[in-house]
Amino acid sequence: MMRLNLVLLLGVVLSALYLVNVQYESRRLYSDLDRAKARAHQLATENERLQVEKRSQATSARVESLAKSRLQMRAATPAITTYVTYSPAVATLASSGAGHEASAAQGRLP
Amino acid sequence: MSRSIAYTSSPLLASPTPLWRSKFIVAAIALAFAGLVGRAVYIQVIENEFFQRQGEVRFKRTLALPANRGRILDRNGVILASSIPVPSIWAIPEDVPRDPAGLKKLAKLLNMSQAELNKKLEDEDKTFVWLKRQVDESVGQDIAALGLKGIYQRKEYKRQYPEGEAAAHVVGFTNVEDKGQEGMELAFNKELGGRNGSRRVIKDRMGRVVEDVGQQIAPVDGRDLQLSIDSKVQFFTYQALKAAVLEHKAKAGSVVVLDVQTGEVLALANYPSFVPDKRQNLSGAQLRNRALTDTFEPGSTMKPFVIASALEKGMVTPQTAIQTAPGRMTIGSATITDSHPHGVLTVSEVIQKSSNVGTAKIAMQMPAREMWEMYSSIGFGQKPILPFPGAVSGRLRPYKSWRPIEQATMSYGYGISVSLFQLAHAYTIFGRDGDLVPVTMFKMNERAAGVPVIDARHARAVRQMLHLVTGPGGTAPKAQTMGYSVGGKTGTAHKVEGRGYADKKYRGVFAGLAPVDAPRIVVAVMIDEPSNGKYFGGEVAAPVFSQTVQQTLKVLGLAPDMSVIPQIVTGPVEESF
Repeated sequence: MMRLNLVLLLGVVLSALYLVNVQYESRRLYSDLDRAKARAHQLATENERLQVEKRSQATSARVESLAKSRLQMRAATPAITTYVTYSPAVATLASSGAGHEASAAQGRLP
Repeated sequence: MSRSIAYTSSPLLASPTPLWRSKFIVAAIALAFAGLVGRAVYIQVIENEFFQRQGEVRFKRTLALPANRGRILDRNGVILASSIPVPSIWAIPEDVPRDPAGLKKLAKLLNMSQAELNKKLEDEDKTFVWLKRQVDESVGQDIAALGLKGIYQRKEYKRQYPEGEAAAHVVGFTNVEDKGQEGMELAFNKELGGRNGSRRVIKDRMGRVVEDVGQQIAPVDGRDLQLSIDSKVQFFTYQALKAAVLEHKAKAGSVVVLDVQTGEVLALANYPSFVPDKRQNLSGAQLRNRALTDTFEPGSTMKPFVIASALEKGMVTPQTAIQTAPGRMTIGSATITDSHPHGVLTVSEVIQKSSNVGTAKIAMQMPAREMWEMYSSIGFGQKPILPFPGAVSGRLRPYKSWRPIEQATMSYGYGISVSLFQLAHAYTIFGRDGDLVPVTMFKMNERAAGVPVIDARHARAVRQMLHLVTGPGGTAPKAQTMGYSVGGKTGTAHKVEGRGYADKKYRGVFAGLAPVDAPRIVVAVMIDEPSNGKYFGGEVAAPVFSQTVQQTLKVLGLAPDMSVIPQIVTGPVEESF
C-alpha cells in the first residue's frame, strides 16, 4: 500500500513539473507568434510606405520635368503620331490619314 | 560519541523547566497560526476581489489595435492619399538631462530653436510632452541614435499625398489625428476611417505578450476609395491652368473635366492651390475649391441654352435670320449692346459671333417660364449631387420676379450665378444627345443614363454651332486643338463688385466639348481677373481648354478625328460681353 502511494506521489510530482514545462513552452511559443505577427504588420506598413514613396517618385510632375530637363524630350502631338488601328475595316479607312501623319512626322523630326 | 554532550547529565539542564514556559510557547505558536488563517481569510475571501484586480493590473494589458485609414486612389489605382506610420517625438521633462550639447543636437534635428525646446521641457511636473509630431523616418532614427534619456518616440499615422498640389482640392487632407478636414477626406471620413480594435493580453516581466485573455475586438480597416479622377489628366489640367493664370496675371482659375459618356469627373483643378503635406501658411484663397464653392455670372456661355430652348420650342431653326443691327437694343430704360455691330445674322452666327442683341431678341420671344425651366432643368440654382463639402447651388431667381430687361440679360448670362462645375455639367446636354447625365466622383464602368432635356436633333445642331465658335470667324479659334474637332462657347463677364459691375475687372470663361461628332469630354475653364492686357474668354480661357482637351483625349486613348491642321487659322473676333 505504501509503495503504491509513493508511485502515485511520484506520478503527481512529475506530471506537475510537466505541466509547468508545457505552460512555459506555450507562453514562449505564443510570444514568438505575437512577435512574428507584429513583424508581419511592420513589414506590411513598410510595404505601404515604399509604395507611396515609389508613387511620389513617379508622379506625372516629376516624370515630365525629368523628361524635359534631363532627356530633352517633348510632348507628342497628333502631328507626330502614327495611329495604328486593329480592326481591318477601320485600318483601310484610316490608312490614307495615317500615311499623311507619318509623312508629317518624318518632316518634323530633326 | 565520547565528545558529545550528555544532556541528561548536563548540570545546566538538570534544573526542572517550569510548565508555563512550554504552555506559553504553544500559545504563541497557536496565535501565529490564527493570525495566518485570519490573513488568508482576509485575502482570499473578504478582500478577494480587490487583490484579484490589483494582480491583473500588474500583468494584464489592454492593447489598442489601430485600424488603417483607407487609401484614396485614382481611376487607375494610382495612390492619391495613403497613411503610413511615422515617428512622433515625446518627452518626460523630469527625466531629460540638462545637457546643453545633447539638447542642441536634438533641437537641430527637430528643426526648432533651442529656446523653443527648453520652453517645452521647462514644466517638470508634466509627465508627457509632445516635442514634435510626425517627423520624418530618418529624423526619428537620428534622434534614437542620440540616446537621450527621457526622450521617446511613438508611431503615428501620417497621411501622404504623392500628387501634391495638383489634386489637393479634390482629395483634401486630414489633421494630425488622421481625421478628414477637407475634400474627399472629409466627405468620406467615416468610410475611410475604419474602427479601432483592442485585445486583452498577459505580459510577462520582459514585456512580451504571453497570452490572450478574454475576447479580442479585431480592428476594421477603412475602405479604399477609388475616385473617377485620372491623375494624369488632373496633372496636365492643373499645369495648363497654372501656366495660364500666371501668364495673364490672373487672381485665380478653375478647370473641370467631365466624361460625357459616364458622368465621371476626370479632373477638377483650381489655382492657387496648396501642398497638402505642408500646410503651415495656408490662406483661404488657396484652400477654396473654387470650381464648386465660387459662383459667378457665366456671361455668354449661357447663350447656347437659350438657343437650344428656342430650337426645342420650334421658334427658330439654325438658319433663321435675326437682325442685330445697329448692335444695340433698348428694353425699357436699359440698352443692350454688342461690342461690334453685326447686321443680319443666322441663329448659328449669333452663337458664333456671340451677339448679345441676337440672343436677347430670341429670348424676348420666349415666355419667362420656359427660360427658367431650361436653366433649372440643367441644374442651375440647385446644388450639384456631389459628395463635396461646401458645394453651392448658385442663384436662379424664380421667373415670376423677372423683369423683361432681366430676362434679356439673363439670356446672355448676367443676373444668374452658377459655379464652374454646374456650367460644365450643364454642357453635357450638348455632349450627349440632349440628356443631362448624373455626375459622379467615383469610377463607373458603363455609360450612364441621363435625364432628357432637349431633343437629340437640337443637341446636335447646337453642337455644330459650338464648333463654328472655334472655327474661322468665331470668338475662340484658340480653342482649336491639333487633331481633334472641338466646340465650345466663350464668355467674358464683368465682375460684380459691391452693388454694380467693376469696370476693369473681368472673368474669362470657356465651356466646350470634344470631339464634336461623338463627344467624349466636356471641359469648362474659368480665369478670374486676368490683368495682363487680355481678358476675353476666347483669349485667356480657350487656350487652357485646347491644351486640356489635347492631353485628356490622348490619355483616354482616342485617335484624332481630323487630319492634322495648323493650330490657328485666323485671329479672333472680339466678343460681346
